[in-house]
Amino acid sequence: MSQHIIYILPIFFSFIGAVVCILPVRFVDRTMSVTASALSLASAVYLLFQPDYIEGYLYIDGLSKLLILTIALVYMSTVLYSLSYLKHIENLLFQHRLYYILLNIFVATMFFSVSVDNLGLIWVGVEATTVSSALLIATENNQVTVESAWRYVIIVSTGLVISLIAITFIYGSAGTLSLHELLLHHPDNRVFLIGILLGIVGFGTKAGIFPMHTWLPDVHGKAPAPVSAIFSAVLLPVALYAIARLIQIFPAHTIKLFALVLGVLTVAVAALMMTVQSNYKRMFAYSSMENMGMILIGFSLGGYGLLGAVVIIISHGLAKSSVFFLTGDVLSISHTTDMQKVNGLIQRLPRAASTLFVAAMAVTGAPPFAIFVGELFIFSALIAQYGWLLALVVILFLAIAFIAVNFKTGKMIFTGKENIKREHSRTETWVAIVNLVLSFLAVLFIPYFETLLKNLL
Amino acid sequence: MNQIFEVLGFLLIVFTLLMQWEIHVQRIIILFAASSFIIALFLVLLGLNRPHEENMLFVLAGLTIVVRGITIPVVMNKALHRLYKKPWRVREDKPMMGVGGSILLSLVLITIGYFIYQNSLYSVLKVRSGSVPFALFLQASLLIISHKHAYIQMIGFLVMENAVVMLSGWVFGGLPFIVEAGVILDLLGLVVVSSLIIRVRESSILREGDTYESELRG
Repeated sequence: MSQHIIYILPIFFSFIGAVVCILPVRFVDRTMSVTASALSLASAVYLLFQPDYIEGYLYIDGLSKLLILTIALVYMSTVLYSLSYLKHIENLLFQHRLYYILLNIFVATMFFSVSVDNLGLIWVGVEATTVSSALLIATENNQVTVESAWRYVIIVSTGLVISLIAITFIYGSAGTLSLHELLLHHPDNRVFLIGILLGIVGFGTKAGIFPMHTWLPDVHGKAPAPVSAIFSAVLLPVALYAIARLIQIFPAHTIKLFALVLGVLTVAVAALMMTVQSNYKRMFAYSSMENMGMILIGFSLGGYGLLGAVVIIISHGLAKSSVFFLTGDVLSISHTTDMQKVNGLIQRLPRAASTLFVAAMAVTGAPPFAIFVGELFIFSALIAQYGWLLALVVILFLAIAFIAVNFKTGKMIFTGKENIKREHSRTETWVAIVNLVLSFLAVLFIPYFETLLKNLL
Repeated sequence: MNQIFEVLGFLLIVFTLLMQWEIHVQRIIILFAASSFIIALFLVLLGLNRPHEENMLFVLAGLTIVVRGITIPVVMNKALHRLYKKPWRVREDKPMMGVGGSILLSLVLITIGYFIYQNSLYSVLKVRSGSVPFALFLQASLLIISHKHAYIQMIGFLVMENAVVMLSGWVFGGLPFIVEAGVILDLLGLVVVSSLIIRVRESSILREGDTYESELRG
C-alpha cells in the first residue's frame, strides 16, 4: 500500500497545490504552486529509481516515468516563469489565484493520464486536460484569445469523441481496457483494428497531428507565453503517449504504417507552413507540430525509433518551453508577435536574444542537442525498415523547417538599426536558460533512458 | 427488445434533425434535454435486458438524467439568461444551410452511416440497425459544422457524446462503470468551462463585433 502511494505522489502534490491555492490568503497561490511543483519534481526524480509498478489502476513503467519527469520539469519552470510574467498581462480574465489553481489541476490531469492502467481512464485524463486548460488560454482577456480558447475546446473535444468511439470498439472486442491485460492478449479482428486506428486519429487531434491540427497554431499563437510553453512541451506528448500505448498493444503492420504516414504528413505540412509564417509564436507552434510528427514516426517504427521518440519528447519539452518563455520576453518589450516589426533583439535584449537563437537551433534538431540524436535514432530505424527514399523525403522537410525557423529567428535577432538602446527584461529569462541547458544535458542521459525503456525496445 | 431500441434510435435521429432545423438556441437546448432522457430510457431498458450486469446500467441511467438531462441544460440556460436580456429570442443569425439543403444532407449522412456500418462492421458485430449511432454521430458533426453559434456547436458535441453512449450500450454492451462515470464528469466540467468561455466570447462580440477572423487561420 505504501509503495502504491509513492507512485501517485506527483498527482497528489499537484492536486493538493490546486486545492490549497483556493485559500484566500495573500501569495498562498504562488508559494503553494512553487512548493507543489518542487515536490512533484522531487517525487518524479525519486520514481526513476523505483521498480516499475503495474497493479490496480496504475501502470508505471519506464515510458511513464520519463513522461512524469518531463511534465514535472516543465511544470516547475512554468510556475517560476509565471510569477513574473503574469504581472505584465493587462486585462486578466481572472485573478492570479484561479490561474494557479487551473495550472495545478492541468498538471495533475497530465500526471494522471500517463500513470493509469486503463485506456478509458487515459481518455478521461486527456479530456480533463482540455477542461482544465481551456480557460488558461484566455488568461489575457481579449476577443482573439477567447475565440482561440473556444476553438480549442470544440475541435479537441470533437477529436477526442473519435478516440472515445475507439475505446468503445476496443472494449467491445477485447472485453477489457486494462493496458497490461491488452498487452498480454488481445483479439485480432477488424473491430479491434478499427478501434486502434480511430484511437490514433482521436488522440492525434490533441497532439496536433495532421489533419486535425488546426487548433494548435491558433492556441499557441494567442495563449500567454507560460501556457504556450506547457502546452507545447508536455500536453502534446501526453496525447502522443496514448498513441504509443495503442501501438504497443497492437503492433500490426497496418497500424504502424498508418501512424508512420500520419507522422510524415505532419512533418511535411508543419515544415511547409513554417516557411509562410509572419507570427513568431505561430511559427514555433508549427515547429512543435513538426516534432510531434517525428515522435509519431519514432513510435510507429519501435525499437530505436521509439528510443529516439522519447529522447525528442524530453529534449523538446525543455527546449521548446525555453523558446516560448523567451517569446514572452520578446513580446513584453515589443508588444507584437509580427516578425516584420521585431528586430535588433541582440542589442535590446542580449541575454534573451542569444538564448532564443540557441534554443531555436535546439528545437530544429541542430547538433549537439538531444533532438538531433533522437532524430538520428529515428532515421536509423526508418532506413532499416523502409529504405533511404522515405528517409530522404523526411530529411528534406526537416531541412526546410530548420532553415525557415533559424533564418526568421536570426532575422529578428541580428537585423536592425545600430545603437538600439538596451532594455531590461521584464521576465525571468534565467528559467529559459536553465531549461535550455537541461535540454543540452539530456544527451548525456540517453544510455539511462535506454535502460529504463528496455522492456519496450 | 431490439425493435424498441430501433424506435429509440430513430427518435434520437429525428430529434437531431429538429435541432438542425431549429434556429432558436433555447429550443435546441430543450431538444437536447429530451434526447438525453431518451438515452436514459435506453439505458434502463438495456439494464432490464441484461440483469447479469447488476445495477450499474440503472445508476448510469440516473447519472444521465441528472447530468445530461437536467444539469447541463440548466447550466446552458442560465448562461443564456446572464448574457441576453431576452434569452428565448437568441437565435442562429446566419444559418449556413437552408431547411431543404439540411434535409438532403441529413439523408445523405444517414445513408453514409448505414453503408459504413454495413460494409465494415456488420459482418463482425451482427447487430441489426447498429448503423443508427453512426448516423447520429454524423448528424451531430453536421450540427457543429453548419452553425456558427457557440451554444449550438456545444450541443452538437454533446449529441456526439450521446451517440457514443448509444453505440457502446447497444452494439458493445457498455463501457466499464468507472470509465462512464469519468466521461460524464468530464462532460460536466467541459460544459461549465465552455459556458464561461462562450459568455466572455459572446459579450465581447456583442461589444466589439467579429474582429478575430484575420488572426486565427487554423
